Amino acid sequence: MRERLRRFFAASFPVDWDQLRALGAEPVPHHLKHWWWCLGGTPLYLFIVQVATGILLTLYYVPDPSGAYESVAHITRDVRFGWYIRSLHKWSATLMIAAVFLHMLRVFFTGAYRWPRQLNWCVGTALLATTLGFGFTGYSLVYEQLSFWGATVAANLVEAVPLVGHPAALLMRGGAEVSGNTLTRFFVFHIGLFPTVMLVLLFLHILLIRLHGVTEFEFPREQVAPAERTFPFWPHHATTELAIGVLLMYVLTILALTLPAGLGPKANPQVTPMHIHPEWYFYFSFRLLKLTSLRTSVYLTLALGLGLMGWPFLEDALHRWLRMPRDASVVVGVLGFGAFLVLTVWESLAG
Amino acid sequence: MDGGRRSFLAAVAAGTGLFLSYGLFAAYAVSFLFPPPVRRRPRRLFLGRQTDFRPGEARALVDDRGRTLLVIADGGTLTAFDTRCPHLGCQVHWEPKEARFVCPCHLGMFDRNGVAFAGPPAAAHQALTRVPLDVDAVSGTVFLRSDA
Repeated sequence: MRERLRRFFAASFPVDWDQLRALGAEPVPHHLKHWWWCLGGTPLYLFIVQVATGILLTLYYVPDPSGAYESVAHITRDVRFGWYIRSLHKWSATLMIAAVFLHMLRVFFTGAYRWPRQLNWCVGTALLATTLGFGFTGYSLVYEQLSFWGATVAANLVEAVPLVGHPAALLMRGGAEVSGNTLTRFFVFHIGLFPTVMLVLLFLHILLIRLHGVTEFEFPREQVAPAERTFPFWPHHATTELAIGVLLMYVLTILALTLPAGLGPKANPQVTPMHIHPEWYFYFSFRLLKLTSLRTSVYLTLALGLGLMGWPFLEDALHRWLRMPRDASVVVGVLGFGAFLVLTVWESLAG
Repeated sequence: MDGGRRSFLAAVAAGTGLFLSYGLFAAYAVSFLFPPPVRRRPRRLFLGRQTDFRPGEARALVDDRGRTLLVIADGGTLTAFDTRCPHLGCQVHWEPKEARFVCPCHLGMFDRNGVAFAGPPAAAHQALTRVPLDVDAVSGTVFLRSDA
């Protein structure tokens, strides 16, 4: 029976198992034995948590202004373990954004974005943008006062983008004003468009990592025998990732228990509350909007986003034409991230 | 030569077919994404009599377009403002003591005439949108013109 089953599957899936095993046993560099170098897998794990909890939440969520808030309240208060699933969704989103930031910082400050991995850096920044898009649309779906006004501000902010702003804002809002159409569209972006984009980008990101291999680091104080410079992905590194996944699930559960997802007052399109702020990852943008004119904020944000995405190429160009030393990237990174931190902390203290 | 002409014609036919089928679909799909503009007829909304408004009073109302408006009685004249901040669309609050509008989102401030004097809207020389009012000279009834 067992042999028949084996033959059935072997015939149904004509896969070269030796080749598959060889693929799984891809050598990864020694430094990945330390968990703190394994932050790249963390956003992926958290994305899986997001998908699982997101599917569950969709079973009860009503993407309509007349019922959205009530459905979230129903999930949080009445549905069995609804508060837990919603809190896991919220906290995994927050941690995912933090993990993407940390992963990008690691890649930036170790110079792992340089040739021949420039394109993968660009894919990574597109993944960051998609993650932020997930956060923004997800927050808006709750349809409480803060999320409604956050959506209004963002939709109108898009309008100020040069050339494509007006059609993009129309597309995003589903009309000239923020309305019921906007909520429906954000829902579609959140559960349909962004997951698809995310999966395509993740596939590309992982494919490029596999094709190039993980960047190898050498540490002066660490003596590694030549035979131990690499180790197989399967099962060693996969086990590390699994352990991180288990730890993350504990952390998420602790966060859900101690700081469960709350619910503010229902959205009122006629009244903006006196104290309004977006989610923490948009604090820098919110503070920038208070400090400068709309046009300046939009141009600065666009320049920062494009500069971040194209930094590997920009760095090359600056090095070639202006003889900028490669190490100057560290200064640029410290200044850029420092500005992000200052604006974020400033807004959180002012809020 | 004959084969070259045949493959050229086949390529043209295939290209035309692709363009007409998927191209047309793409054009229609993009057009589908943009909802048609809402057509509104100009209307006059009855607000009340001029004498109904006490001096210094500010009365909020929602018009037929869903806009929140604030009618301010100041020195015998009535002025109506659309309370959406011209910066990024938040609703401004009227502070009667300071006689100013404040936007809670990015701290824009507007004077009693709706002109920005602080925050990002002032930097961009913006003002609140005024909504025209019609006052009947004989009866003193006030109408809001919602064609603006």
